[in-house]
Amino acid sequence: MHRVEHVMGMPIVVEVRGGDVPDDVFDWFRHVDETFSTYKEASEVSRIRRGELALACASEEVRRVYGRCDELREATSGFFDVEAVGLDPSGYVKGWAVDEAAAMLDRAGTAEYAINAGGDIRSRGRWRIGIQHPLEPKAVARVVEGTDLAVATSGAYARGEHVRDPYSGYAPAGILSVTITGSELGTADAYATAAFAMGGHRAPNWTARLRGYEALTILADGRVLTTPRFPSA
Amino acid sequence: MKKKLLAVASAVAIALPVANAAAAAKKKIVTVTKKITGPQAIADRWGYVEVTLTVKKTTTTIGKHKTVARKITSIDVPVYPNHTDRSIFINDQALPWLKQEVLQAQFNPNIDMVGGATATSSAFTQSLQAALIAAKKV
Repeated sequence: MHRVEHVMGMPIVVEVRGGDVPDDVFDWFRHVDETFSTYKEASEVSRIRRGELALACASEEVRRVYGRCDELREATSGFFDVEAVGLDPSGYVKGWAVDEAAAMLDRAGTAEYAINAGGDIRSRGRWRIGIQHPLEPKAVARVVEGTDLAVATSGAYARGEHVRDPYSGYAPAGILSVTITGSELGTADAYATAAFAMGGHRAPNWTARLRGYEALTILADGRVLTTPRFPSA
Repeated sequence: MKKKLLAVASAVAIALPVANAAAAAKKKIVTVTKKITGPQAIADRWGYVEVTLTVKKTTTTIGKHKTVARKITSIDVPVYPNHTDRSIFINDQALPWLKQEVLQAQFNPNIDMVGGATATSSAFTQSLQAALIAAKKV
């Protein structure tokens, strides 16, 4: 069974093989939207960004998310930086929310499922996932096949150039997209954003050094680079 | 290049009668056409969008070997925001284009799901994604 709902500004698809999608999964996504949305004036994150709420006084989950964003800034040499974008943690929140939803499905005993939040996917069981080609939306650049995978992609193609290099302030050069696979979607998404922001010159070397996460980088000249253990089908 | 094509064509011509003779008795083709309607999705404050796909499923059985092919033959948007001049204008422009996109996308039977940089977050996509998943199971 599958369900699609429009939450957090994107379609979220939850597909369960041979079972039902529990209601509380979408209740959870709506809760995340209420708490973390930068578009909702009353959300905790909006109040933090306006300086009305001190981080120390925020709820436990909000503090945890900002804490993890700090760790990810360290891990990405500052290329994933929520402070550079006015304390907007959206780049991590989406993947984290999906990771938490996956934990809910695991606790409910769901053996095989996939959650697709606007193109970033977390799966349990064996799934074949096509990675949309950055230049041809109809074409699949690579098929990923694996068990219990998170697959996150950052690129310039879907919403215009929305990732910027926090150091230069410019859109990254020489790169079309970075796809990261691993165990956690929040981390994979932050790594994909950081690698994309580094540009075509630095991203391949940086992703090659990641532990537990593999990368597929598509450069502006059309070259497709993968780390040795990238789970291509 | 022309020469090559000719050579292939003649090879096929020679091979065909043999293949036909072997398959003639056992080949069976069944075609089923179904309409699948996605859920009504909210397009912000403008109203609802609903997508209907017509899917043709062709099951070819040759002996014990069965292959299934699905093709979207048409796409309709029976429900869409049309209560203001502006939304009528936007939809007249956008809907034919969106329909064309879907007909080109079709299915890839080897893929369970498609990922990529954040997909368009439109009500059209939302209703369509649900219809596409359902269409895979026709």
